[in-house]
Amino acid sequence: MATGLSAIFLNNRPALLRFLRARGAGDESEDLLQDMWMKLEEKDLGPIADPLPYLYRMANNLMLDRYRSATRRGRREQDWAEGAGGVMADPSEDIAIDERLILAEKLDEARAVLQSLGPRVELVFRRFRLEGVGQRLIAEELGVSLTTVEKDLQKAYRAMIALKQKMDTE
Amino acid sequence: MNRAVAMMNEEALGWVIRTRDPEFADWEAFTGWLEADPAHAAVYDALMAADADLAEIVPAEPVSIAVPANDAGPRGWKPMRWPKFAMAGGAVAAALAGVVSLHLMNRPDIYTVTTRPGETRTVALDDGTRVELNGGTTMRFDRRDARFAALDGGEAAFTVRHDTANPFRVTVGEAVFEDAGTVFNIVHSGSMTRIGVSEGEVIYNPKAEAIALPAGRALTHDESGLRVMDIAPDSVASWRQGRLTYANAPVAQISGDIARSLGVKLDATPGAGAMRFTGTIRLDRDPVRFFGQAAPLMGLRAVRQGDVWLLKEGDGPPR
Repeated sequence: MATGLSAIFLNNRPALLRFLRARGAGDESEDLLQDMWMKLEEKDLGPIADPLPYLYRMANNLMLDRYRSATRRGRREQDWAEGAGGVMADPSEDIAIDERLILAEKLDEARAVLQSLGPRVELVFRRFRLEGVGQRLIAEELGVSLTTVEKDLQKAYRAMIALKQKMDTE
Repeated sequence: MNRAVAMMNEEALGWVIRTRDPEFADWEAFTGWLEADPAHAAVYDALMAADADLAEIVPAEPVSIAVPANDAGPRGWKPMRWPKFAMAGGAVAAALAGVVSLHLMNRPDIYTVTTRPGETRTVALDDGTRVELNGGTTMRFDRRDARFAALDGGEAAFTVRHDTANPFRVTVGEAVFEDAGTVFNIVHSGSMTRIGVSEGEVIYNPKAEAIALPAGRALTHDESGLRVMDIAPDSVASWRQGRLTYANAPVAQISGDIARSLGVKLDATPGAGAMRFTGTIRLDRDPVRFFGQAAPLMGLRAVRQGDVWLLKEGDGPPR
């Protein structure tokens, strides 16, 4: 690990430990940090622009993976592994016809909800959630303030998560 | 829901959005919020899980991803599908205005997707069909009809969700290809059209010739007419895996594929262009490294002339 990441890791070890504890890792915090260290040692990660946020994100992703496997909803770890970028569901070949129909209905419903929020909110949400573009950049593209983008995202997220919860209970 | 819980949810949602931002850096503030109440972490986890599930129900609108050309990957080939920064600004403007493209007979539902040489894009249609565009490609789609696509030039791989009642059709110039449950790849360049089928079956011009192309068959249509031949299903659209695979293909055709896939300008001398090659070429975004390996493999030599590469007949005896 010739990248200086190890030095940054060591310097910020207490802060990372504090983060993992706050994140709910409890007694396992030390072990998780050790895992992180091993991963960093294994990988030859070229230079990283913002090493500290990178380390935090790595720790956060570890916790998200843990949550996912604990709740047995797994399978989408890749979503975390890809960093902030979202990954589209890929309806694979082996889905049965009736499940496809249900999926198609859900897609229609989700599309309708998104559209009902207005074109800007929809666009902001797609750029952010599906294409992994940051809020600052979206604001620049659209020529609106960062606050506007934040509010749009909150609005879209609220609606989409409510929809998802409704679908899960149906 | 009581007010405190509602507020906590709101706050957690704010953190979900913030931490999901690729530029997020204020992890100390996030730590502070988590420490304020042990319940915060659990709410955050649950919302992040819900967020991950959203990918399943949010339909990708057709225009999705652009990859910058000449963005050298670390080693070897990586189909770089997620841009770090903005994609085609035009697509955004178009989505905002609700109208796309100029040269399209004023049908606002028809829109064009284009890739530059060396750039790839994936278009996910509403019906679950996926179209992967190789570099230097222009296609049209219809917002109101997910079963329509037109390949105006270039190369694209189709993974079609089959529906017997409503088949997927690709228009290429005058020709129509109709799927019968299928993965296939089409190249269209000038007056030449070439299709390879790796799964299922495609019908060429169902209303005229109606030639059935099952998996493992390929069809070429050019000035010399129509030809149907065998093709290894694995080799169809192998550009998606960073490979180009050929059986007895003319170098002239291969150099077109290379130029499209890598975004390089490439010519072949008439002698070299007429030669034929069988085998697999590994794509590499570093042209020097790529031609250093690929040219000898084809029994050729690659010479750089300004920003153009020229394929020549092999060395022969040194002089």
